[in-house]
Amino acid sequence: MKKIFALLLVLCMIFALSACGKSGGTTSSEAPAAESGEFKPDGPVTLIVAYKAGSGTDGPARILAQFAEKYIGQTVVVENVDGGSGSIGWSQLAAADPDGMTIGVMNLPNFNNSIVNELGTYTTASFKAICNHVTETSIVIVRADDDRFPDLDALVAYGKEHDGELKASTNGAKASNHIGAQAFANSAGFKYIDIPQGGTADQLLSLRNKESDFTVVKLGDIAGQESAYRVLGIFAAERDSRIPDVPTLAEKGLYDQWLGSSRAIVAPAGVSDAVIGFYEEALKKTMEDPDYLAAASSFDTNFQDHAATAALIEQQQQFAESLGAEFWGE
Amino acid sequence: MLETLGLMGAGFINALTPINLLMMAGGVAMGIIIGCMPGLSAAMGVALMLPLTFTMKAETGLIVLGAIYCGAIFGGSISAILIHTPGTPASAATAIEGYQMTLRGKAGKALFTACYASFWGGLLSCISLYFFAPLLAQLTLKFRSAEYFWLSIFGLTIIAGVSGKSIVKGLISGAFGLLLSTIGLDPVTGAKRVMFGQAYFAEGINTTCALIGLFSMSQVFILAEKKITARAQATKFTDKMSLTRDERKLIRPTIVRSWLIGNIIGILPGAGAAIACFLGYNTSKQFSKHKEMFGKGSIEGVAGSEAANNAVTGGSLIPTLTLGIPGESVTAVLMGGLVIQGLAPGPELFGKYAPMTYTFFAGFVLVQFFMLGIGLLGCRGFAQISRLSDAILIPCVTVLCCVGSYAIHKNILDIVVMMTFGVIGYLMRKFDLNTAAVVLALILGPIGEKGLRNALKSSGGNPAILFSSVVCWVLIGLCIVGILSPIFMAKLEAKAEKEAVAGTEEDVEKLTEEDSV
Repeated sequence: MKKIFALLLVLCMIFALSACGKSGGTTSSEAPAAESGEFKPDGPVTLIVAYKAGSGTDGPARILAQFAEKYIGQTVVVENVDGGSGSIGWSQLAAADPDGMTIGVMNLPNFNNSIVNELGTYTTASFKAICNHVTETSIVIVRADDDRFPDLDALVAYGKEHDGELKASTNGAKASNHIGAQAFANSAGFKYIDIPQGGTADQLLSLRNKESDFTVVKLGDIAGQESAYRVLGIFAAERDSRIPDVPTLAEKGLYDQWLGSSRAIVAPAGVSDAVIGFYEEALKKTMEDPDYLAAASSFDTNFQDHAATAALIEQQQQFAESLGAEFWGE
Repeated sequence: MLETLGLMGAGFINALTPINLLMMAGGVAMGIIIGCMPGLSAAMGVALMLPLTFTMKAETGLIVLGAIYCGAIFGGSISAILIHTPGTPASAATAIEGYQMTLRGKAGKALFTACYASFWGGLLSCISLYFFAPLLAQLTLKFRSAEYFWLSIFGLTIIAGVSGKSIVKGLISGAFGLLLSTIGLDPVTGAKRVMFGQAYFAEGINTTCALIGLFSMSQVFILAEKKITARAQATKFTDKMSLTRDERKLIRPTIVRSWLIGNIIGILPGAGAAIACFLGYNTSKQFSKHKEMFGKGSIEGVAGSEAANNAVTGGSLIPTLTLGIPGESVTAVLMGGLVIQGLAPGPELFGKYAPMTYTFFAGFVLVQFFMLGIGLLGCRGFAQISRLSDAILIPCVTVLCCVGSYAIHKNILDIVVMMTFGVIGYLMRKFDLNTAAVVLALILGPIGEKGLRNALKSSGGNPAILFSSVVCWVLIGLCIVGILSPIFMAKLEAKAEKEAVAGTEEDVEKLTEEDSV
């Protein structure tokens, strides 16, 4: 009897070990030659996601991975390496073998903020851009039943009149939506109180239970609950076709740059151009695949090529570095 | 209403997938094994198995943890009945009557009663889960920063309840946990706090690793320092595992009473299954028409204790799922599982994630049936495990602790953290400090800190905001109750225990006399 249960416990441990090793994969020692003009992965490809399974970043990445297998010709394994505000995963990606078998998702501007906050040892030069995957644009919202703010002008006028009184929940101190609220208030010329919450869900709850007066989120964040909020403005150069009645901030003479978040697919800096070219092509085809598009309806797929994505990463880096004490009003 | 009924029904359909059923059976069996091994507690078992659920779907993972929880609470009764050693503290009262029945050759009957009562206690406690949890969750929609601050303070008053003999030592443990919870990025300003330049600590101490260390690894150290000795031989029993129709009828009112007691105790944070079993036992004695049987192996006594401790399971899930306030250490671990799946306790569980939540509830109902089946069929086998040697147990648990903490992020630093907390936990237990208080403070500290600072920030520093709503005052009232209730509970438990023990000792003496004759 004793032996049987000892055996049972051993089996249990093997089960546990297999849970760890799930995405270990077999990185072949004979990785494809980096210098040759052709690249084709010869084993499972690992896609590192710097946030946990089930997170907002994880879902779209898994849909991309699933449909990309057809064009990459290999299994694509999503590996969630979370912690350290994303920096643990990006550190691991930067240190991965540049053999084209490991690529990853880079969240902009969170990635850039992690460099500014000195959380990781990497820089933008530690990675090579493959392409852009998802782009989400920021919007200014209030409660749908808040009669004080029928439009953006009313919010700005109220903010100026009651300087330093309006409250805005954010998705964390100096996180993406805090940057948005600050950029909006700075351009409008009023001060406000930021109420940092743990994430976007809590941020929206804080607006709904009237702890906050307005907030800045991404358009996709309010999908399915549009009736609860009134969208006052969008941080883009042009109006969005899904909300054609909502003016851009630039139209109102406020913040005139695009603001939001992007998710780029990148590889460690040492990979050859053949690797970049291969994935750029394969992922472009994936993002045009009708099956993929059907599965990806809940978020904004936005393919941009290698060059445009590299420029976006640099632009976001400069933007993140420009957000000094002056921007934050400290 | 109709929509909710639809969700409940859909929950059962979703829960009935082969993988879920397999996991329920496996979880219950695992729980019973852990429960009936003296030295391994329910919290430890759930902590140990938690990392295995990361790769599962959220509902499946939660069902496994719920199954282990229920199984372990029942499993404790097996060793309590057969070798007079409660496998978990929750079965302490079961040992009193259960072992008497074993001595009289009625071990099978005792085990059947325990299993039957556990089943009904657990099943009935699901009713409150279905009805109160969504209501309470809706309430949290009204919660702003000030309310969250008071909620965390209310949660922290649990420390008084779990700290046992010395409140001061409980408070020291809680303060230590609060201190640890400040590690990481400041939630309000984003400043780095006590991170020693390690990005690893940006999101604070990994609670799961900390609790695997504090609950499981420290237990390994405790077991390992003792000389490895053979455990008492479990009695081989030959009588049939069943109850007559009259006996079932006899324990029916006892089960209902114990269900109510256990369920209410479960909902109240701070009072766990260990208290419920004594209260359930004592109440069954007070209401019994066969008081003379108590101390001589009363099936009512066994049923009273076992129905109460299993009724705690459903009840204690309510504050965990709705308010994010785990009432005891097992649900603290369970909450860790919830958070790792990306689910936050509160109204979202009954809105956006309602299908998942109702699948879990349905799974929890079905788990009770598995517990009945596996418990009855496997009792004889499980009885033998209760004497499994520490020589096997220690290496197995150590490996599971390491693998478990590594599996979360596949980061070797997590094992270092787990081991560190293992040592901390070992030392704490040596000094009679309370490891559960550390975990509670680690979970509740950040909620309270953010709540207080955000509330004061939005009021421009005016503390009046902390007293500005009815919900605030209700929570303040609950805090006061929370601080005072352990004193009341301790008295109640001591009374129940005293009466229970007084009865038994006499009888044990009598029995030994009879034996020697």
